[in-house]
Amino acid sequence: MSDAPPPAARPVIEFRGVAKAFGDKQVLRDLSLDVRKGEVLFIIGTSGVGKSVTIKHLIGLLGVDAGEIWFDGKRVDTLREPELAPIRKRIGMVFQNSTLFDSMTLAENVALPLRKHQGMRQKKALVEARRRLDQVYMSEFADRYPAELSDGMRKRAAIARTLTLQPEVVLFDEPTTGLDPVNARRIDRLIRELSGGQGVTSVVVSHDLTSIFSIADRIAFIYQGAVRALGSRDEIRASDDPVVQQFIQGQSSGPMETPGF
Amino acid sequence: MFGFVERAITQVGTTTVRIAREVGGIVVLAFDVLRALFPPTLDGRELVKNLYKMGNQSVPIVALTAFFAGGLMLVQSAPFVEKLQAHALAGWAAGYAVLREIGPILIALMFSGRVGANNTAELGTMTVTEQLDGLRALAIDPIRYLIVPRVVAMVVMLLALTVIGDLVALVGAAITAKAVVGIEFSTFIHSVVDNLKPYDFLHGIYKSMVFGASIALTSCYFGVTVRGGAVGVGRAVNAAVVAAAVSVMLLDFFMTYWLG
Amino acid sequence: MRGLIELWGVFVSTIAGMIRGGRPKGEIVRQMHAIGNKSMLFIAVTLGFIGMVMIYQACMQFNRVTGDLSQVGVQFIRLVTSDFAPTLTGMMLATRVGAGIAAEIGSMKVTEQVDALRMSGVLPVDYLIVPRFIASVVMTVVLTTLGGAIMYVAGGLTAHYQFGVNLKIFFDLSLLNPAHLSLGLVKAVTYGAAIPVVSGFCGLRAKGSSEGVGWATTAAVIGSSLAVLLLDFILSVAGFFVLGEALR
Ligand SMILES: Nc1ncnc2c1ncn2[C@@H]1O[C@H](COP(=O)(O)OP(=O)(O)OP(=O)(O)O)[C@@H](O)[C@H]1O
Ligand SMILES: [Mg+2]
Repeated sequence: MSDAPPPAARPVIEFRGVAKAFGDKQVLRDLSLDVRKGEVLFIIGTSGVGKSVTIKHLIGLLGVDAGEIWFDGKRVDTLREPELAPIRKRIGMVFQNSTLFDSMTLAENVALPLRKHQGMRQKKALVEARRRLDQVYMSEFADRYPAELSDGMRKRAAIARTLTLQPEVVLFDEPTTGLDPVNARRIDRLIRELSGGQGVTSVVVSHDLTSIFSIADRIAFIYQGAVRALGSRDEIRASDDPVVQQFIQGQSSGPMETPGF
Repeated sequence: MFGFVERAITQVGTTTVRIAREVGGIVVLAFDVLRALFPPTLDGRELVKNLYKMGNQSVPIVALTAFFAGGLMLVQSAPFVEKLQAHALAGWAAGYAVLREIGPILIALMFSGRVGANNTAELGTMTVTEQLDGLRALAIDPIRYLIVPRVVAMVVMLLALTVIGDLVALVGAAITAKAVVGIEFSTFIHSVVDNLKPYDFLHGIYKSMVFGASIALTSCYFGVTVRGGAVGVGRAVNAAVVAAAVSVMLLDFFMTYWLG
Repeated sequence: MRGLIELWGVFVSTIAGMIRGGRPKGEIVRQMHAIGNKSMLFIAVTLGFIGMVMIYQACMQFNRVTGDLSQVGVQFIRLVTSDFAPTLTGMMLATRVGAGIAAEIGSMKVTEQVDALRMSGVLPVDYLIVPRFIASVVMTVVLTTLGGAIMYVAGGLTAHYQFGVNLKIFFDLSLLNPAHLSLGLVKAVTYGAAIPVVSGFCGLRAKGSSEGVGWATTAAVIGSSLAVLLLDFILSVAGFFVLGEALR
């Protein structure tokens, strides 16, 4: 245990035995996971294993088949749509494919939650939106439409949009995928700063080994619908589980079963 | 032989279930929209944006449709008018049909094909690219923010278009009367003014409001329930225009009886 | 304007392709099924209801002046055969079939299947539009007959049960003459021809990806509906002048 212990050990998020199937495709079987307040937790696993599905449950975009999900002492998987709004203001999510609104410019995209939740007028919200975009080095593209930009640029704008509500927890779905190394490290630094300075809890889904082993407090490895390994960077690196080793070393052959191949 | 009967029964069964599910979904959406309207927390920017876009899309087509619809009704009544040598009745006969039935229905069908279809495609694309989930994640209710302004805009727009269209249709009928049957404009105008009551106009206008609501809800419902990528969007558009046409015809029937 | 010329080009090559013949055998039957059978319920429901509404409005209108409803049935069947049945069927098929054809051909266009056809020496119009054209002409006539019959019966029942019109007086065909029937038939055939040509044309013009197909689908619905309306206007005016006396 060479890593410093995370700021607070109390779990702010708990998954208890969550199961989820789409049709006859069982994606999550029995997934249990604690997220501690203020930590940066990485969720890793092969493509299609259910990482995006896991975090979507937390803000009620998907409903569980079995199991429970708790946030800050409240059970969230049983909430109905209107009751989810306060939770969603406290838990922000950056989607894998950005989901910017393509009828709006980047500035209008970022201004929307400001206008809707902080009661700002459009003009003031747009000024504030530009400032937010500057934090992700995107202010010069504020008047462009999402379709005119690259994946990486859209992703950065989506991060800015999510952070406008100053959430306590941010779910990042592959924030650095499609970014060049310079911008990827800038995003890493942003995530780290959020958790250090403002005590924000981050759950990051990622394949980016550099990010994983430079900013993670803990890493959860999902395999066959459950958490197969959970621990600090060093613990995961030193894991004697051959499946984990195959994944983090990126070997094409090994004991791991990958559906679709 | 029995195989055929069995297949037919299965098909009728599954079709009934599908239609029931869709009607149910649209009714639920209607209640959600109504609830979101009280108290009215309408997003003004979205409303204006949609009104502007929908108006742009549909005004020329509706004007063209209305003009020919008016002309058509006159041509249809022409043999009868000629036979009775009753030129004074032409405006009345065509105007009555246009204001009460043909105008509101044809304009609604065209509106559905242009604005409704486009709306389904737009919402469908937003759905398959997870933009609706994106809204939810920002704690913004897609029904309040996206659907309600669209429904309100479509109802208002179709109402306005029907008012304009009624006028254009009467002009179309008058011009056709002159050109085809040789009825003077003054005779036509007298015939309309003397025989038609304001209620004939209102009868059609009331209908157009109901048509607007049903087209709007249908097109939004098929948009937000799209499954299966780009192909799914095409299928949804097709289903939405067909369902809107059926709902317009059915509602027309009930409204006609109810309004008298 | 250039669009109209291209549209005319599609129509001419469709006719040429039809005369040349040599298309896949089962395709026409398959298209007849897709266009006809699947639209039957749709046509029956919509035309049935509008038939009831029209009779209701007409009786109200007659009641306002003469109160003599004995003419309603004979006038109704004339209008149904010469105009309402073909035109309303045409409008409904423009929605139902036009959208389907454009979506199908448009998807093939954007996935470059149309180019693949051309590469293998098959004319896209021959392969894609001609079978739909033949099927649509035949099925529009069939569906018009069905729709007209349902409209007439639904109207008659409304007149009887709502306004007490004697069924024998309503269902009197003596004033119906070949002029009405032939005008209706010409209209049905014309719409049946116009819808696949207009929507096939829209489908073949689809560009880009899914948005292109969406655009083609909406354009086909509007384009073929407008085509039906305009053709109805032209044919009705022409019918008024050519058939004149016979229609009265
Ligand atoms: N709404 C849905 N309906 C049906 N199946 C779904 C749905 N969402 C996800 N799935 C399925 O669930 C499985 C897990 O999907 P998920 O998006 O969570 O994968 P992932 O781990 O995030 O992969 P990647 O790294 O490629 O993003 C996939 O097989 C996917 O097809
Ligand atoms: Mg994912």
